[in-house]
Amino acid sequence: MAMRVVALAGNPNVGKTTIFNALTGMRQHVGNWPGVTVEKKEGVFEYNGERFLVVDLPGTYSLTAHSIDELVARNFLLNGKPDVVVNIVDATSILRNLFLTMEIFEMGIKNVVIALNKMDLAEKKGIKIDVKKMGEIMGVPVVPMSAKEGIGLRELKDIIHRVSHGEISPAPIAPRYDPEVEREISHISNILSETELSKRYPLRWLAIKLLQRDDEVMKLVLRYLGEEKLREIMTHIGEAEERYGRAMDLILASQKYEFIDNLMHKFIRYMKSEGPSLTDQLDRLLIHPLYGFMTLALVFYVIFKFVFALGLPLQKILGDAFSSFGTWLAPHISSEVLKGLIVDGIISGVGTVLSFFPLVFLLFLSLSILEDVGYMARVAVLMEKLMRKFGLPGKAIIPLILGLGCNVPAVMATRSLDDEKDRLVAMFINPFIPCSARLSVISFITAAFFTSNHALVAVSIYLIAIVVALLSAKFVSSFLVKVEESPFVIELPEYLIPSWKTVLLHSWERSKEFVKKAGTVILVGSLVIWYLSNYPVPMGEGKSYAERIGMFFEPYMRLMGLDWKAAVSLLFGIIAKENVISTYGILYGSEGALVGVMSTLQAYVLAIVTTLYIPCIATIAAIRMESNWKWAALVTFYMITIASMIGIIIWHVGTALGY
Amino acid sequence: MNMVVPLSSLKPGERGVVVDIRGGPNFRSKLVAVGLTPGVTVQVVESYGYGPIILYVGGTRLAVGKGMASRVFVRKL
Repeated sequence: MAMRVVALAGNPNVGKTTIFNALTGMRQHVGNWPGVTVEKKEGVFEYNGERFLVVDLPGTYSLTAHSIDELVARNFLLNGKPDVVVNIVDATSILRNLFLTMEIFEMGIKNVVIALNKMDLAEKKGIKIDVKKMGEIMGVPVVPMSAKEGIGLRELKDIIHRVSHGEISPAPIAPRYDPEVEREISHISNILSETELSKRYPLRWLAIKLLQRDDEVMKLVLRYLGEEKLREIMTHIGEAEERYGRAMDLILASQKYEFIDNLMHKFIRYMKSEGPSLTDQLDRLLIHPLYGFMTLALVFYVIFKFVFALGLPLQKILGDAFSSFGTWLAPHISSEVLKGLIVDGIISGVGTVLSFFPLVFLLFLSLSILEDVGYMARVAVLMEKLMRKFGLPGKAIIPLILGLGCNVPAVMATRSLDDEKDRLVAMFINPFIPCSARLSVISFITAAFFTSNHALVAVSIYLIAIVVALLSAKFVSSFLVKVEESPFVIELPEYLIPSWKTVLLHSWERSKEFVKKAGTVILVGSLVIWYLSNYPVPMGEGKSYAERIGMFFEPYMRLMGLDWKAAVSLLFGIIAKENVISTYGILYGSEGALVGVMSTLQAYVLAIVTTLYIPCIATIAAIRMESNWKWAALVTFYMITIASMIGIIIWHVGTALGY
Repeated sequence: MNMVVPLSSLKPGERGVVVDIRGGPNFRSKLVAVGLTPGVTVQVVESYGYGPIILYVGGTRLAVGKGMASRVFVRKL
């Protein structure tokens, strides 16, 4: 028998992930919903010898067509035919949480179970809930839980099991509106009942969605009813709105909240709360326009140190381990071709992939701690105004800062942004932020070619890169993905101590996913570069494919005062940016010889171009993983263009000024 | 009858009942879904010169951009 499907639905910050992890443990799989970059998590749990497939829907406040997350959740509820829907409700914020519950009930879904989470917290806040009464009134089983403590988990599994077997038949209470609205609903339902739609969708739900002018449902109805009928319905709705003097979606929402409020008072009592909570007191500091920013800077510093001071040495250790393994293995392989392929191609490629693992893991660890503690929402509050100027949301500051260490985890950090378009913009510009590998190129060049003002030269390169990144963000968000100025409303959840199990499990899954998905791209890239530099004749005599490619680009490189050797070096920089200098060294005999053959201006142009010209192969793989090939290719093309333009300008201006 | 004013004009500690939200459907649905809907009582917790305004709505703490808050109208309590 096929596994029964359980969908988890709920608001953000209700502990949905904690419940998902508690249910499924290590038996989970992270992927994307088809066609969009919204994360899809699935897992399996066993109860009474039967296996259940749990699908974690995106956390949303409602089920409109206004955001991809909501649409994904809604479409799964409509078309995915889950056997049981577990609606996770935050006991400390019942009114708002039940709004989503009502949206689910309104879809005509019967097999709903409410997991009433954070019961311990509600108790502390003086909120008394009569769970049995709540179940009777809502018409569905209600399971009280404190998921972080593991309380209520067994009961939840048991209820899921029984509902899926029809031992319990929930009868959810659907919201009722005032007589005038109800008349509109039945009027529209009547018109729709004559179509095929009635077989596939609950008519009442379609009618309510039409009243809200839901884009997707309007498109759907258009297909079945034709333009004329739909226009007729919409005109009718318009007239009703005239009478109310207010948009129908507002009327429906207000009445829905009123309906919930009336229900709630039958099973909930609020005791007197004891003054300002700890969260209020902390927020006075953490979102204060002065102290808030100071704390933010400190938090960023700590994360940066944590991820990179710990991650970069680990990366080096892993990388070195693989190259020693290669060196050890080499004499054991007799065939020269095979030796090259295995040692320089495969082993070093796999080494590169795995060496990113610590960085990615530490990054996700920090991010999920920030998220679970509740601080991420505060970052958004502090940075929103500033970042919006460049077409980015407040939280986008995090990937930008991380980019200074390494762009791979930074690109993956764009996941914490809620909007898909924002994610696309943030990952597009991230590779412009100079990572630590480029810092090594920048500092080598400034030290070797400039007699004084080293710091100033380095800072100028960073400034150019950051300005280019921010202007590009503005450009991309205005023209390429057209980010609409979305209203800034964000929940500031209660500060909580994170559940270590959730945090660790989450970080582990994400990092594993990176190795699996980005691994192939990095490996293939390494093999291609290895081939180009060893065939038909190994590099050094100007006869390898790599060198020929470089010579082909010589005229182009001349435009920015560089030669074909620069082109070859930059080609190797695609594997890792620090290769630029070492490749130059190979081509000229030694790195020190560079000083004799290049002018200061040429060196400066090389540093700038190395900083801006292309994401390294691992970053390209990360971008592809977080979006698609097209986007990764576009970023690459855009960066090459910008880097060449800036290289050419600096070369010509510099020459004209007599440098 | 108390005054109807934009939410953005309330000072910390002041409360009001939402009477209207003026803005497009996307804007409305986003506010409504987090509990900011005509009929509910809101309390301003913090409002600095810089950044969004912090509110309490139905047991939830929300941060709402100043521009958004100026399009939400409340009857002062």
